[in-house]
Amino acid sequence: MTDHNHKYQAMFLLDNEEVRQGFNAARDWVRTTLEKHGLQVHVLRLWGERQLAYPIGGRRRATYVLGWLEGSGDAVNNARRELYLLGPVFRCMFLEQGEIPAEEMSQGIPEMADADLVIPEELDDDLAEEMREGPEQEEEASSEESAEEGKEEEGKEKSSEEGEAKADSEEDKKETATTGGTSNGN
Amino acid sequence: MATKNSRQFDYKDIESLQVYLTGQGKLLSAKRTGLSAREQRRLKRAVKYARFLALIPYTG
Repeated sequence: MTDHNHKYQAMFLLDNEEVRQGFNAARDWVRTTLEKHGLQVHVLRLWGERQLAYPIGGRRRATYVLGWLEGSGDAVNNARRELYLLGPVFRCMFLEQGEIPAEEMSQGIPEMADADLVIPEELDDDLAEEMREGPEQEEEASSEESAEEGKEEEGKEKSSEEGEAKADSEEDKKETATTGGTSNGN
Repeated sequence: MATKNSRQFDYKDIESLQVYLTGQGKLLSAKRTGLSAREQRRLKRAVKYARFLALIPYTG
């Protein structure tokens, strides 16, 4: 049963630290490992370099390599075991597929210069947190400033209102005084 | 065999998968997605593959 050949789609997550030393070297290591265990590699190409949705073993980014292979289930199991033990691969997945799409077959194993793949530096946890918290703190500071300004304005308004009230009461007094004066005069 | 109108889901097509996920990263029910049972199973498998490869988070 396991000797029966199947076609597989495979995705490999490569450690960026190792890919920085050379993408082609890392990919060739994966290819030789797969072929060593009797798998026929039809396609092995860069799928992308991207941020992980959750950290894996302290890694926040990874290089994804997509492959289309042909071989037995035993070969896949043995290759997977070695991939996890050695080399740049820290996660991989093999999916059995009926056919290899013609578009993928045409891509094969493309040669690319190591310099073509630019991998951004991973930030330290503390620095990343600071980067994340930075704008929030600024916003908080600005909101505090605006709150203080608001208070000051309120204070000014209150003082101006109090002043106006005092002025009104004085005017009332004057009015009463004038009215009183007139009444008294009359 | 897949019928003509049945949808296929690819774990690499993250944008199309995220349409069927909540903000927390949970898969919507078939009642909400409006997919058939077979399509919902395909969607479930694709989401689980994508989660395993850290393309989408397990939780929001």
